[in-house]
Amino acid sequence: MRFTIAREKLQEGLSAVAASVPAKTTLPVLANLLVETTDRGIRLSGTDLDMAVSTELMADVDVQGAITIPAKKLVEIVRELPSAPVKVSASGEQKITLECSRSKFKLLGLPKDEFPSFPSIRFGESWRIRSGDLQKLISHTAFASSTEESRPILNGVLWELRPDQMRMVATNGHRLAKMEIPINATEVPSSDLIIPPKALEQIRRLFPAEEELEVARGDNHLGFRSPFTAVYTRLIEGPYPNYEQVIPKDNDRIALADRNALIQALKRMSVIASDQTHRIRMSFNSGMLKFSVQTPDLGEAQDELPINFEGDSLDIGFNASYLLEILRNLPTDEVRLTFKAPERAATIEPVGWDDTAKYLCLIMPLRLVD
Amino acid sequence: MSATARRILLADADAFYVAIARLIDPEGAGKSPLLIVGGSRESRGVVCSASYETRKFGVRSAMPTAQALKLCPQAMCVPVPRGACSRKSAEIRRVLQRFTPVVEGASIDEWYLDMGGTEQLYEHEPLERTAHRMRDAVRAETQLSVSIGGGTNKLVAKMAVEVAKPKPDNNATGVHIVAPGDEATFLKRFLLAEIPMVGPKFVVRLERAGLRTVNDVLEHQLPELIRWFGDREGQWLYDRVRGIDSGVVEGHGEQKSMSREETFSTDVADDTTLERELFALVARVASDLRTELLSARTIRVKIKDADFKIRQAGRTLTEAVVSDRVIYGVARELLHELRKRRRTPARLIGVALSGLATNPEPPQLALFADATASLETERDRAVARTVDSVRRKFGQDAIGAAQLSKHEDEQ
Repeated sequence: MRFTIAREKLQEGLSAVAASVPAKTTLPVLANLLVETTDRGIRLSGTDLDMAVSTELMADVDVQGAITIPAKKLVEIVRELPSAPVKVSASGEQKITLECSRSKFKLLGLPKDEFPSFPSIRFGESWRIRSGDLQKLISHTAFASSTEESRPILNGVLWELRPDQMRMVATNGHRLAKMEIPINATEVPSSDLIIPPKALEQIRRLFPAEEELEVARGDNHLGFRSPFTAVYTRLIEGPYPNYEQVIPKDNDRIALADRNALIQALKRMSVIASDQTHRIRMSFNSGMLKFSVQTPDLGEAQDELPINFEGDSLDIGFNASYLLEILRNLPTDEVRLTFKAPERAATIEPVGWDDTAKYLCLIMPLRLVD
Repeated sequence: MSATARRILLADADAFYVAIARLIDPEGAGKSPLLIVGGSRESRGVVCSASYETRKFGVRSAMPTAQALKLCPQAMCVPVPRGACSRKSAEIRRVLQRFTPVVEGASIDEWYLDMGGTEQLYEHEPLERTAHRMRDAVRAETQLSVSIGGGTNKLVAKMAVEVAKPKPDNNATGVHIVAPGDEATFLKRFLLAEIPMVGPKFVVRLERAGLRTVNDVLEHQLPELIRWFGDREGQWLYDRVRGIDSGVVEGHGEQKSMSREETFSTDVADDTTLERELFALVARVASDLRTELLSARTIRVKIKDADFKIRQAGRTLTEAVVSDRVIYGVARELLHELRKRRRTPARLIGVALSGLATNPEPPQLALFADATASLETERDRAVARTVDSVRRKFGQDAIGAAQLSKHEDEQ
């Protein structure tokens, strides 16, 4: 195999696929990238077995072939190379030479047959989704998924596809984010897919907003592709918890607040909140929201924020980190918070959002101990 | 030394395991001067502790029991009375805690006490007097004897307790306090190998420089020691032989982790047996946890494979837990992970709890009604509380999980 590629082009390709290479692995070939020649140039691919990313780059190919190259070292080398064409050649399967201007490197690869094959995706039955819509859904919901290993289903993001709308929901059992966007895609098969957020992050990052993506299923996988780049991911199996049931319908205490001011106050309270629970107390009264936090062995803090509040006054405890994460993702300057009681779910949503999408977040309180 | 000199004690239970083995079996072990605790003639276990009488035959702790019994064939050998040991250990700790709130358990039978700030309380009586009263209280309430060493820091207290321990060949009183300012003089009598943290490898390096005793080191200046042993170790050695140690007594609530482990008499290859052993360990460590009024967020499982390779897996939960059910649920999954990665017979299994908190944090309420978010239910905690109170009243073995009872029968 032998090809020549612009250093910038190669670096761009590497930054696309490098995130799919696992930091630690028991299978040595996974620390490598698969490099194959194609009709148009070369294709770089990486995988951690849960997800795979592959991207095609323009290059001048002299001799066809395929090899695997240690990903971390290749990234480090290309980062330091001067801006000049990079010549890559492989003699046999394992000895790789990389030359750029006056620099020369020799690397040991692994045979390409050891590289796992990509899951088979039925792109023949694919449907089309605008990348920008997906980006919007992902960036507003995926943060709410769980990172605990105790319940794998919550480690995923639910993607509900219907011909007239699509929706993403993520929760860790304590807080939840849900967004839906109207679409008009009659060819879309109605389905509920549970996707690991790590793959969604790559999808959000790698495809430009204006691109139309082809999406298709395999037996237990999902594939997303544009003309040059593809992301494959494992799906998480199982019924997603019935989130509709927990969305409160009768919350009758309503607060309107300035999002930024709320974030600033919460950040101040977080300094004193416990590192483990992040517990703060919020007291809602007509016209004023009072914050307080008391952490044994550390100290206490109070703050106030003028707000618009309707309903009986309320004392409620929250994990300040959960609140902050939600507020940072809300797209408007003003936000609405609704409550029923100190131990019932609260909702948070944007006010006056000029968008076709609908966005709602839920958060469960922390029990206050007086 | 100034008036602000620290007042640190180390209480060390005398022949702890031997004493307890005799206490719970007065007719057998209690009447056998030659007593070895731990392992058996057939097993690969090691000596956990041996009576002073057997030590004359060359029997030492951590020696394979089979070898010990060759040296001293007439000795009686009993298994380690684990339940009784942890119960007695907690009893001693409770007595010590009456004298000062800052008690750090260094092991099951050693406790550091920071007596700083108790001067007024004890009307400025000499530390030696307080130590003797402590010793009497422990003996009266637990039928066990402790020796107490004291001084201005942990190192001196640790060295002093060795001098304090009554042995057949000395007339020690069980208490030895080194007065502030006398640390360096006191330490002169020791070999370097006797200083805590000086291991066999360091001893070899010290001997290469011609250093065997504390006195040998005192003849050299700091720059020389640094040249021989490097900045860190040179300085450390220089301080140590002068009795300088700034280590703090980590009081109650500062405890970082609790653990329990079991070495099998023969390697175990079968998952069901491993699970059952794990379950028994969890029941013990969870009981320890609750006895100390703590809860834990992180659970770790350790396996030592037949080839001595040690592997661990751990998980941190969203909330602190106390119940056998939840801890075992997580521990079992961790065990499966470890076994999936490498399936060889295991010679040891252990479980450790960390991320300890004194009072359980208020629970984060859950969105979903099923047991998703709240790992531990009020029912779990109630079961644990009930089991604990039955055990307090009727003894450690009065109640246990049904799945372990078969195991007990086999023993």
